[in-house]
Amino acid sequence: MAFLRSPHAHARIGRVDLASARAMPGVVTCVTAADLRDTVRPLRAASRMTGYHATDLLPLAADKVRYQGEPVVAVVAESRYVAEDAVDAIAVEWSPLPPVPDARAAMAAESPLVHEEFGTNVILTRAFRHGDVDPALAGAALVVRERFRFRRHAALPIENRAALAAWNADGLTLWSSTQVPGMVRDALAESLAVPGHRIRVVAPDVGGGFGLKSSVYAEEIAVAALARRVGRPVKWIGDRREDLLASTQAWDEEIDATLALDGHGTIRGLRASVLADVGAYSIVPWTASIEVIQVISFLPGPYRVPAYLGEGAGVATNKAPMGPYRGVGRPVATFVMESLLDRAARRLGLDPREIRRRNFITEFPWRSPSGIVWDSGSFAETLDEAARLADWDGVRAAQSLRGDATRRLGVGVASYVELTGIGSAIPASPGADIATGTEGATVRVDPTGTVTASFGLACHGQGHETTLAQVVADTLGARLDDVRVVHGDTSAGPIGTGTYASRSAVLGGGAAILASRSVREKALAIAAHQLEADARDIELQESAAWVRGAPDRRVSLREIARSAYLGARRLPKGLEPGLEATRYYDPFFGTASSATHIAVVEVDLALGAVTVLRHVVVEDCGRVINPRIVEGQTIGGVAQGIGGALLEELVYDDQAQLATGSLMDYLPPTAWEIPPIVVRHLDRPSPSTIGGFKGVGEGGTIGAPAAIANAVSDALGSLGVEIAELPVTPDRIFRLLASRAPRTG
Amino acid sequence: MKPAKFEYHAPGSVDEAIALLGRYEGDAKVLAGGQSLVPLLNFRLSRPAALIDLNRIPSLAYIRADDGVVRFGAMTRQRTIEFSDVVRQRLPLLSEATRLVGHLPIRTRGTIGGSIAHADPSAEYPAILAALDGEVVVKGPKGERTVKARELFQTYLTTSLESDEVLTEVRLPAIDAGAGTAFEEFSRRHGDFAIIGIAAVIAGDGASCSMARLATAGAGPIPVRLRAAEEILERDGLGDAPIAAAAARAAELVDPDSDIHASSAYRKHLTGVLTERAVRRAMAKRGR
Ligand SMILES: Cc1cc2nc3c(=O)[nH]c(=O)nc-3n(C[C@H](O)[C@H](O)[C@H](O)COP(=O)(O)OP(=O)(O)OC[C@H]3O[C@@H](n4cnc5c(N)ncnc54)[C@H](O)[C@@H]3O)c2cc1C
Repeated sequence: MAFLRSPHAHARIGRVDLASARAMPGVVTCVTAADLRDTVRPLRAASRMTGYHATDLLPLAADKVRYQGEPVVAVVAESRYVAEDAVDAIAVEWSPLPPVPDARAAMAAESPLVHEEFGTNVILTRAFRHGDVDPALAGAALVVRERFRFRRHAALPIENRAALAAWNADGLTLWSSTQVPGMVRDALAESLAVPGHRIRVVAPDVGGGFGLKSSVYAEEIAVAALARRVGRPVKWIGDRREDLLASTQAWDEEIDATLALDGHGTIRGLRASVLADVGAYSIVPWTASIEVIQVISFLPGPYRVPAYLGEGAGVATNKAPMGPYRGVGRPVATFVMESLLDRAARRLGLDPREIRRRNFITEFPWRSPSGIVWDSGSFAETLDEAARLADWDGVRAAQSLRGDATRRLGVGVASYVELTGIGSAIPASPGADIATGTEGATVRVDPTGTVTASFGLACHGQGHETTLAQVVADTLGARLDDVRVVHGDTSAGPIGTGTYASRSAVLGGGAAILASRSVREKALAIAAHQLEADARDIELQESAAWVRGAPDRRVSLREIARSAYLGARRLPKGLEPGLEATRYYDPFFGTASSATHIAVVEVDLALGAVTVLRHVVVEDCGRVINPRIVEGQTIGGVAQGIGGALLEELVYDDQAQLATGSLMDYLPPTAWEIPPIVVRHLDRPSPSTIGGFKGVGEGGTIGAPAAIANAVSDALGSLGVEIAELPVTPDRIFRLLASRAPRTG
Repeated sequence: MKPAKFEYHAPGSVDEAIALLGRYEGDAKVLAGGQSLVPLLNFRLSRPAALIDLNRIPSLAYIRADDGVVRFGAMTRQRTIEFSDVVRQRLPLLSEATRLVGHLPIRTRGTIGGSIAHADPSAEYPAILAALDGEVVVKGPKGERTVKARELFQTYLTTSLESDEVLTEVRLPAIDAGAGTAFEEFSRRHGDFAIIGIAAVIAGDGASCSMARLATAGAGPIPVRLRAAEEILERDGLGDAPIAAAAARAAELVDPDSDIHASSAYRKHLTGVLTERAVRRAMAKRGR
């Protein structure tokens, strides 16, 4: 399948002539929105937020297109080549409308409307208030103010999105490169009016997601609807162009922020107003609020902020929709708060580390100004250890040796706290009607003694097959090799939504522990019966059980399991046969992961080029299940953060046309641009989750941009240049330097 | 991202290729390494009726040095040039610049003829052709002709080659053993096309400059030979002041366009910065 996608950012769709496309050999069908109107219902991301406007998610645009790349016609053909030829042969009568190219333009009174029916382009607003911010600002010894800008970013998983739908008498199977098979199943049931038990969604080995694959997409609905229509399996493999044009995008926010402090550098108050360009639609199921509200929610960071006002507005424009991206809100929030603190430290003549130490939260649990409960945090400890590993003092010494050379050194720090493993008390998307706070696990020992642990979550490169198997093996007392993890298949495991928001170790791991404990208890009872001992005296390890102190007489997990299914006299009286359990887990508030990043950079003043020389992360992700996996997650996250800080930017022109539509122009870092990254773990079990786990999937991306921005500001500080806009490209550095100093050559 | 339909021919000789090009009357494209052409096909930005593949013409791949000229068959791979001893000795500038062309897999397929025929103004080889006053040999239905760098490049991705002509050879004058050379380039990432690149050849003893050759990549629609900057060095020598003056002149000589990676002003600035760095590095390598 291929799509005719809108070449315009904003246009009315007139007559669509499909005749010559339909006549091409190898073309199975071509359809427009009108052809699907009777069989596909629009989906909407509901929310209880006041002033929020939901938009329709349809497989194909009807009447009008609202971003370049929006699907308009779906073509099913014998091959993708033929399908693209057919797309070329379709004639559409477009009536272009003036586009809304960015959030500022969208706010103007005379701006065209992306959705006329709302009467405004502002589709959501939200504020968090704590204490009284005005007097705090008015009476402060120091007030630092800045307008920050974080440009639009692509998540860029290696594997583009893809979906394959096949119907048979039992219903629909959809294979999709998604992070959220459970959510996709629920959405398809609604949009196609098919009972949920007739839909199976499989997310096989998925090549990365980073949040981009955590929403429900038009293309998934389209393949399912068209496979039903043509009575044959239908496949769509998105290409990189489609990925860059029509997947959810990240960031694109302007933040006016003011931080008030006393003469010692103690924070008195923080005020911020965030203007987010949320693109053309409010995505399903997260809504358009997901990024902007998390920015104002996380802005106070790991610091005591006695007075806070954070306001956010999401503004519709003619760009691809904004969605969750690794770190959601926190990379931007951290960039803003950490930059403000460094500015304050510079004005007060304080060491950047010292101003942080003076403000870190030290008592837990701590209720943040936006209502998040921090159960724990290793803020000062991560900071001190990171400074030691990064050789902070050595960098300072080298800086004074270099003086005003063309190549300046800079060191920058960013500390943050993030909410991970979010439970039902705090929805992952505020006000949205989705079950993000619970996840289940089924642990089953079969008669051959091997263990299958099935989950509703999905893995797209995080190594759940390893970490969750470790959790099950350790808890149950089975050999690691005897445990197989099944995930990403709605018909193979308990109910769940998927993997996002650094939740799988906490929720999946917690549910795995609960289910493994239930199974273990039963296995112990059976072993005790067979060994004629009390269950409390049984050891069960590495798939074998024995009476404590008498290791020679053993029963294997296989024998225990066979007995469990054979029943009769092999089981203690009254014990129900079978050896499996399904348990669900809700961590309620979730738990706090924290870290400090320190980047050391070199800035070539003449070129405006930034090189990251080294990057250090010291993180507290609770109990570490597998250090190599934590390290892999962190390094990958830092790489994406470096991209966001220095290289990657989705550029739209003033007609809202994407100028970075291929990887020749959209520039993720390569191995050459990634410095040595040092990762150190503090193993501090969470006080509030089963197993003590905290999430770690996103942290790398949260801290890196802020640390790099601060390092660049540090390098350029003596020239009076402070970074307020990311990515900080060579051209931007050139302009910053040119506006302040005589030309360097 | 699938190309539109095209016919495919793999001729065994240049003459056969020219005949095929003639048959399609301008609607066929020559396929060399494919590293620039295939992306254009996949984006459907180029929709030729046919591809004439030169990869089956072994006689088009060679490196020969005689009479102070190094001759490259058009189908010589960039990777071959990178590791060629002849090139290292006679054209160290080309060896150095080749390492800046894309990434290993790209250089393994990409050809010198393809790079020059493609005429991307940010590419390294066209800048070197301009700096060294090289020429290319072009063969068409009316026979063979040679074209000088300054007559070859017309604007972005456009040369004076006719649609039924094949570029068969690239000729670069060997660089005097005593001269120093440098290719200074700035790109957003390792392996990207240059935002600005400067090819420099400097000859002369001590602070005197008997010959300077300077040309740009990325500073306009075609590679720009910085003759007025060269003259400053040849006249005033290689002291700090003339080098700074030559660099400043270089920046004035170019009129680059802005794009998403760099503004015109920044490119002009870089032209000066990199000219100075290239001259200094080339100077230091003299006589080695
Ligand atoms: C990711 C990436 C990064 C790159 N980075 C760089 C870089 O930093 N610097 C750089 O210089 N290049 C770079 N390139 C381009 C690369 O060097 C190409 O190989 C080169 O530009 C074209 O050479 P080719 O042999 O692949 O030609 P092709 O792609 O096969 O052809 C290019 C064009 O030239 C024409 N053509 C080719 N050969 C002839 C001939 N003998 N006679 C007439 N016409 C001919 C073709 O018809 C076509 O129009 C990059 C490419 C990629 C994909």
